[in-house]
Amino acid sequence: MCQSCHVRAVSTYRTAERNSRDTGEGAAGLTTHAPQASQTVTLPASLDEAVAALTAMPTAVPVAGGTDLMAAVNAGLLRPAALVGLGRISEIRGWQYQDGHALLGAGLTLARMGRPDFAALIPGLAAAARAAGPPQIRNAGTLGGNIVTSAPTGDTLPVLAALEATLIIAGPGGARREIPVSHLLAGREMLHPGELVGFVRVPLLHAPQTFLKATGRTGPGRATASVALVLDPARRNVRCAVGAVAAMPLRPLEAEQWVASLIDWDGERGLVPEALTAFGDYVAAACIPDPVPPQDGSEPATLPPAALHLRRTVAALARRALGRALS
Amino acid sequence: MRERSERIRGWVRAERVRGRAKRGVGMNGTTDGAVTVTPAAGVPVPPEEPSPHGLGVSLPPADASAKTEGTFPYAADLWAEGLLWAAVLRSPHPRARIVSIDTKPAAEMEGVRAVVTHGDVPGDAGHGRGVADRPVFAKDEVRHHGEPIAAVAADHPDTARLAAAAIAVEYEVLEAVTDPQLAFEAEPLHPDGNLIRHIPLRFGDPEAVGEVMVEGFYRIGRQDPAPIGAEAGLAVPRPDGGVEIYTASTDPHTDRDLAAASFGLDPERVKVVVTGVPGATADREDPGIQLSLGLLALRTGCPVKLAATREESFLAHAHRHPTLLRYRHHADAEGKLVKVEAQILMDAGAYADTSGEALAAAVSFACGPYVVPHAVVEGWAVRTNNPPSGHMRGEGAMQVCAAYEGQMDKLAAQLGLEPDELRMRNVMATGDLLPTGQTVTCPAPVAELLRAVKEAPLPELPKDTPEAEWLLPGGPEGAGEPGAVRRGVGYALGMVHMLGAEGTDEVSTATVKVSGSVATVICAAVETGSGFSTLARQIVQETLGVEEVHVAGVDTDQPPAGPACHGRHTWVSGGAVERAAKMVRTQLLQPLAHKFGMSTELLSITDGKITSYDGVLSTTVAEALDGKELWATAQCRPHPTEPLDEGGQGDAFVGLAFCAIRCVADVDIELGTIRVVEMTVAQDVGRVLNPVQLQARIEAGVTQGLGAALMENLRTTRGQVRHPDLTGYALPTALDAPDIRIVKLVEERDVVAPFGAKPVSAVPVVTSPAAVASAVRAATGRPIGRLPIRPQAAVAQTVQP
Repeated sequence: MCQSCHVRAVSTYRTAERNSRDTGEGAAGLTTHAPQASQTVTLPASLDEAVAALTAMPTAVPVAGGTDLMAAVNAGLLRPAALVGLGRISEIRGWQYQDGHALLGAGLTLARMGRPDFAALIPGLAAAARAAGPPQIRNAGTLGGNIVTSAPTGDTLPVLAALEATLIIAGPGGARREIPVSHLLAGREMLHPGELVGFVRVPLLHAPQTFLKATGRTGPGRATASVALVLDPARRNVRCAVGAVAAMPLRPLEAEQWVASLIDWDGERGLVPEALTAFGDYVAAACIPDPVPPQDGSEPATLPPAALHLRRTVAALARRALGRALS
Repeated sequence: MRERSERIRGWVRAERVRGRAKRGVGMNGTTDGAVTVTPAAGVPVPPEEPSPHGLGVSLPPADASAKTEGTFPYAADLWAEGLLWAAVLRSPHPRARIVSIDTKPAAEMEGVRAVVTHGDVPGDAGHGRGVADRPVFAKDEVRHHGEPIAAVAADHPDTARLAAAAIAVEYEVLEAVTDPQLAFEAEPLHPDGNLIRHIPLRFGDPEAVGEVMVEGFYRIGRQDPAPIGAEAGLAVPRPDGGVEIYTASTDPHTDRDLAAASFGLDPERVKVVVTGVPGATADREDPGIQLSLGLLALRTGCPVKLAATREESFLAHAHRHPTLLRYRHHADAEGKLVKVEAQILMDAGAYADTSGEALAAAVSFACGPYVVPHAVVEGWAVRTNNPPSGHMRGEGAMQVCAAYEGQMDKLAAQLGLEPDELRMRNVMATGDLLPTGQTVTCPAPVAELLRAVKEAPLPELPKDTPEAEWLLPGGPEGAGEPGAVRRGVGYALGMVHMLGAEGTDEVSTATVKVSGSVATVICAAVETGSGFSTLARQIVQETLGVEEVHVAGVDTDQPPAGPACHGRHTWVSGGAVERAAKMVRTQLLQPLAHKFGMSTELLSITDGKITSYDGVLSTTVAEALDGKELWATAQCRPHPTEPLDEGGQGDAFVGLAFCAIRCVADVDIELGTIRVVEMTVAQDVGRVLNPVQLQARIEAGVTQGLGAALMENLRTTRGQVRHPDLTGYALPTALDAPDIRIVKLVEERDVVAPFGAKPVSAVPVVTSPAAVASAVRAATGRPIGRLPIRPQAAVAQTVQP
């Protein structure tokens, strides 16, 4: 229904008189027609045009897939004065190679990232994109939208954090600046007015990557916890990020270093099950820590059962993620 | 005359073959004047595909294509010239005293046409189904999160919402009572007190004890009906000072009576027109919205519309009763039940609504479809400051089913018996007694149902397919690991009553009209997806041989048919339609019978053709009508019931339906994620009237039950509803829905029901949560006493590699 229209209905006739049974439209002149209103929508064709449109109208809201934004509009939580549609900017809808990295357009849809050719390059991101929701959402939702929305349960975010991706941000006057994705997700650096995330630079690691997600149901659902894990054989690194348990993806750095030191990078790369389990527990304890023991030496508080279960879930996910990456 | 009837017969066939052929267009191949029914030899007969009609065939619903194509006008699509938009101000607190309400900031806003509060309600202060304990707008105290306080009409929906938000209400927040166990001792939350109903059922010897005893505590969450179309309505003032309310009501006459009493009008001056029902598994509409709309329309003289947001919908309508159950089952060493002791505490929320009836069902079915010689069941429905509870498919019966089936699993483990074997030793049959002292007189083929699901082959393990294709708990891109997955098989038997209980006057009135080759059914039974309007068409097709049957829209100018729940319309309204159709049939055949000197019983109608037993007479319905219209109106009123007495005894139910479900579930015992692989259903249906629709109803019911078992729980924190949206409130999706195999439909006709058929929708909802819990118990070895099952409850303690 037209609840988001921006034209005020002006006619408020007293229908007691006009209760028109003679209009031939059925009882009381009921129809299912409601007047639709137009809205200011700009559809720029390039990143710089989009930035210019946003600069010209600071109240305008950029919209890519709209899977979060339009839900808020429909729920009446947001009434954007104008929209800048990013769907026609073809330069950000694909990807290209750039000295050992992939430069991903922010307008890449989750569905596109889930395809096998992409999965061969960045398997972790592809798995996260495939798990992100039902096909309707994946067809519309974009990588850039996932980053900017920064929902704690955003599925691509822990993968980007584990990959240590870099954002290329387009600003007014053709300006470009780069920030690590974790800075934006953690709120250390924000987008300035008129700026748009244009590209995401992701290293090509040529090694196994896993993304595992626990949800409450078999069908698509928000993650209760997720773990992204990538191997970086060149730097002999294991990088792991845990999503959905905090406001931003968490990196258990000590656990990463510890497990990387155990792996025989030049040989089989396998680990004994006990090491995998220990890694899982290490990651889980780092991300969901025990309450700080009180100073006075009294009985320390214990985690509530739901948090303990979450910790168990993260441990199982991390163990499985590492096991699959090394198998 | 024979030739003419033959022509029409030929036309009927041609029409069927060509589908939408225009009337009167040619008589394909049979125009040679032959008197035989079959066309002359040599004439090529296209392969005949008889369009389904009559009882026992799968007639498709008339609105299926409109709903599939998105052209069906739902209540939220209503529009009228010059309409105003309403918004309702709802309480943000579960319990607070209202110190003052200042509507001035809202009334002064540009575009606002009216603001109404409790002071503007001209009629009765209270309303409610059964007990009138709920104010239209809160006056001195708000009793649940989302209770209406005021309503605004404005010329734009945004203006209306802003104005509603601008109303200044000063609250004195009070301590909310949200634990039903504390409601007994708490200060009264309502002038009527906190105890809504108490049934202390005593059956047999309360002192009896068995050789074996198991105890259990069960807790059932708050399921929301989550109708896909949220509440919506349009109120249009009438020139005579009355008002018409257009809405997707499932109980229009009760809604009309509530509205008339609140508006201080005669019921004749308030009309509820049922429109655009998207489907319902509960009382679909929140009366608070309709009453606000009507008041605003009367106040402004303009049509007023409201289409509720999802959040409003979650806050306002009635939910399933969250229930705490404590059980003690006594059995002898052979596994025969000796005594069941149970305490059932239902959280009714802030207002009584239909909680009394739900409690009666819970107490009466507390032992399940088992022979129990002694029972002590204590049931309470109490008032709290939680969201309101009311009618929702299988209420009462579903909560106790989850508990008594949990007990049966426990007892089987204690005795070292197979769970299905223990159940088989105790099943009820026709002639046994319910704990209410009522004899089960209807067919009760419980043993047959259990045997059918037990003997059905188990689903195969996906050993032959590549591991990557296995659908594991957690879904296709989930974290499932085959090594951590355990499969469990569980059984559950459920029962539910049909129609209103405890002396409710069940009656429905239907009118059937035949004119030309078209019949029309007029009945105030609302089609909620239960299939009534398809069934009504089938009944008329069967009785009158008329192919084209229309079902008229419902409004309160028609005689009442009762609320669309408890299978009422299949039984009572279907019965009324059948009687009316039979009366039309008699009117149609009487002159013919008289003319040929035979009784009407010797004539039969099929495919629009009237023939006599000896084949001498052959004419058509259209010809017999001779341009006349025939009308008949009839009522159906099943045999009366009686209220439960102070010991919980009485013949309270008209009929019972039974179901057996076997559930196969896979559980990832590390993560606690559950995937239900298959639900095998055997159900007691009396008679299959529409096979496809029957299957759809069972599948829908099983899926709703699966939701209650695994994910659907409207959570609250100290009375505040958390996440009132479809992201926070997860519903089963196609991937969550298991394979549903209906292995047996027992067609033992119920002699007192029209056509011998039993309504089918509720009992799968009642039974499937218990079956899922039983399967998860088998897979994990954990007790599973709480629904929906939380992942932490399905994590097995020991993980063996």
